[in-house]
Amino acid sequence: MQEATFLILTALAAGSQHGYGIITDVTEISGGRVRLRAGTLYTALDRLRADELIAVDREEIVDNRLRRYYRLTPDGEKVLAAEAARLHANATAAIARLNPSGG
Amino acid sequence: MTTPNDLERGYRRLLAWYPRAFRSENEQEILTVLLEGAAEGQTRPRLAESADLVRAGLWKRFGPDLPTSARTVLTACRLMYLGALLEVAGLVTFVLTTGRLKAGFVRAYPDYTPHLWHVMTALIVAKEIAIPVAFAVWLILAWGNSRGRDWARVAFIALFALDTLGVVAAVGQREASFDPASLALSVTVWLIALTSMVLIFSPRSGPYYRPEPVRA
Repeated sequence: MQEATFLILTALAAGSQHGYGIITDVTEISGGRVRLRAGTLYTALDRLRADELIAVDREEIVDNRLRRYYRLTPDGEKVLAAEAARLHANATAAIARLNPSGG
Repeated sequence: MTTPNDLERGYRRLLAWYPRAFRSENEQEILTVLLEGAAEGQTRPRLAESADLVRAGLWKRFGPDLPTSARTVLTACRLMYLGALLEVAGLVTFVLTTGRLKAGFVRAYPDYTPHLWHVMTALIVAKEIAIPVAFAVWLILAWGNSRGRDWARVAFIALFALDTLGVVAAVGQREASFDPASLALSVTVWLIALTSMVLIFSPRSGPYYRPEPVRA
């Protein structure tokens, strides 16, 4: 899974979020390292919707502007959990090998 | 003097790179995100976000439009793009080896007549035209299949049949009309076509194909 995809799914893990909210969440989660642009975001959202990992939760009109909220689907939660476990296991193994004495 | 409306107009112009169907569903939403992310006083799209929107719009137009689970179709499409590239390689090889090909013809038919020579030259020109056409057909069919279009899958049968005839002719006349390098490329392209055929007609691919949408 690409990092941007993982971060978008992570941004939606806590609850539904609109496009700009996802961008700011991803920036925050990545510590400012990943700044998604709108084109990249909507390419990813389009693919995640096709893969049925996310779905549209609701739409709102704010200041005459459309906001569409997205949420994780049950499949999306499973995929994110599996990817997080995989990354966690890899990171744990790397840390253990860098500090064989445990210190 | 530029105004915030100029910024919105600029974004709308960039969003025109996306297909109409995608725009009608998503333009307002993307525009909201773009305007929310714009800096205070910004009156024009920045270069980086312009490039990002153009790239994403072109990808939406020409990239695959299938879920990741359509692995057999997506693999076949990658092979089709490879097939298109090999057609280009085939054209270069063919052009570079035309001299050897003519020498082979003279060896095979030492008593050739001017008429036979003209026929052979015409065949060379025909092949030089046919290869770029084949390149375009590979690209169009790769694009159509990557969007799950039924017509592209059916049309690929015709391409495969033509490729098969070409390879059979090449193998049958290899001493007179085909350079070994061209022959090897033709066989490789045929194998790619065969693998693509198997993949797009496999039971796993079936659910990802749909007929052409009917315009209202």
